[in-house]
Amino acid sequence: MKKVATPEYDIKDKLKHHVSALSTAAKEVVMPLNVTTQYPRERRKMPDCFRGYILFDPERCISCFQCSFVCPANAIWMKEAPSGRYYPTLDYGKCIFCHFCVDTCPGGALKQTKIHDVAYKDMDEMFTLTEEMIEPPEIIREDEGYVDYVIDKEDLSLKRTKGIDKLIVDVAPSQGVPLVSLCVEPENCLGCGICEGMCESGAVSSLKEDGMVRMKIDVDKCTGCGLCVKECPMQILRLFRE
Amino acid sequence: MAAIGKSEWEVKIPEKTLKEKLYFENLKATVIDTKLCSRCLTCACVCPVDGIIAIDGVEFPNYEEECTDCSACVKVCPRFVYEPKSGLGSYIEFIAGQSKRFKGQDGAMVTELIVSAIEMGMIDRGLFVGRDEDWVTEIFHVRDIEQLEIPTLGGTKYTFARVLPELKKAVRFTKKGVGVVGTPCMVSGVRKLQQEFPLFREKIKLVVGLFCTENFHYDELTKYLKEKGVDFSKLIKTDITMGKFIATMTDGEVKFKVRALEEILPSGCNVCTDFTAVESDTSVGSVGSAAGFSTVVVREENAKKIIDFIKKKGYADFGEAKPEELGFLIGHKKKREENIGK
Repeated sequence: MKKVATPEYDIKDKLKHHVSALSTAAKEVVMPLNVTTQYPRERRKMPDCFRGYILFDPERCISCFQCSFVCPANAIWMKEAPSGRYYPTLDYGKCIFCHFCVDTCPGGALKQTKIHDVAYKDMDEMFTLTEEMIEPPEIIREDEGYVDYVIDKEDLSLKRTKGIDKLIVDVAPSQGVPLVSLCVEPENCLGCGICEGMCESGAVSSLKEDGMVRMKIDVDKCTGCGLCVKECPMQILRLFRE
Repeated sequence: MAAIGKSEWEVKIPEKTLKEKLYFENLKATVIDTKLCSRCLTCACVCPVDGIIAIDGVEFPNYEEECTDCSACVKVCPRFVYEPKSGLGSYIEFIAGQSKRFKGQDGAMVTELIVSAIEMGMIDRGLFVGRDEDWVTEIFHVRDIEQLEIPTLGGTKYTFARVLPELKKAVRFTKKGVGVVGTPCMVSGVRKLQQEFPLFREKIKLVVGLFCTENFHYDELTKYLKEKGVDFSKLIKTDITMGKFIATMTDGEVKFKVRALEEILPSGCNVCTDFTAVESDTSVGSVGSAAGFSTVVVREENAKKIIDFIKKKGYADFGEAKPEELGFLIGHKKKREENIGK
């Protein structure tokens, strides 16, 4: 069996270690180095793409249901608005902040913010209605500065800056994978034109001539929202990578 | 861009007889109003807005607003351009069978055929017609032999069932294929669907036709039978043998001549000349074989394969069937040809 022995130091080494310890202590007294953010008096500066509270812009929403389809936690429920359109509601009790919804939104209606500290009294309150998603939530801010973690060589240090960090930043909406809707089984098409009626961007057109309906999808106009794909009664449309 | 998707394509549409009207109005004028409609509901199967329903005849409530004028209903209607079919049709084999595994009206061969086709892997679901306590028909998607424990799936119902509207759903969900059972008018509808749309051509792998003299509307038949003293809560089965309608109940039978039912004969059946479902893959019925056996008319190769499978596995007993016994009913229906256009 291998025995662990106490390292043996000579007096020279001992003295050297003691001096080093004392100097570190003295340094901490004069200029303390902590890596803890003094929240809420200061906040950590988050990157612009931080996945926090999600805001919603009804003007850009095309009711395509993509966000609720992609949500792995089933946190998004589409609710009918008085206008007859469907808009998302978000249950923060379920949300895992993956922001797949933000990334998949073809119109850029969902927007990320750096807000990560919203308090709720109970679970029911965490169910956020569409109306409540338009404006950022009310949060009490006591911060006077923000903090950046700087990694130099092997050490981690804090960089403190005075001032209030902006929590809502304009980030260009995610490009994602550009998709277009195309027909995979033209021979099964009924020519009913439901796709044309669903399309928000006017990319789908049908033209009735004698004995013929000419269907056309304008690839340049198509936003890849998938509404036509979903509504096609014969399920002959698919989304393709552009 | 992916090569398989198309951004431009064309759909052929048939010519309208009434130029200014919607296609559904054309269908209504040519088929429904002229009492040709057999209520096979092929149109409801294909309608993109699911607007066509059967309440008191085939209807499309508020079609002015909802109809997309796509022509699909006209394309698939087997009676829009009506070519009456009659006779025994062509067949490879004409046999009588009795299933050892299932109990039904006669030999339970329809159930046996569909279940064997599922076992063979030809199809992965079959559409069955069941009924509730009041004998209202219900459609079941049978994917597993265990589902057949539902006791009402076998046996004749003698009322219209909404099989074909369910077909769209079945075709969409299926991986291997679908098996359908239907009256001759439904079989014609399915064939028309297959002719028009490749989706149905590929996915419907087995069409079992039933021998059919006529089929009744639920409301009219129940009213009539109640007048005759049939108690629906005690009713076990209904059957037509030797020109008599027999309703078997737990405490007795009610019998009367089939001819008496002519007063409630649906107009669509009045112009139907097809008794044996000549367009099916295989037809099954009770006429032509001994009691407890079903007559099976094997018409196509796929049905022949299933029969061979059943024989190999020993799932059923087979006997002799007599085609000449069908002669009377084939002739009886052939006479209805003269009602067309009246």
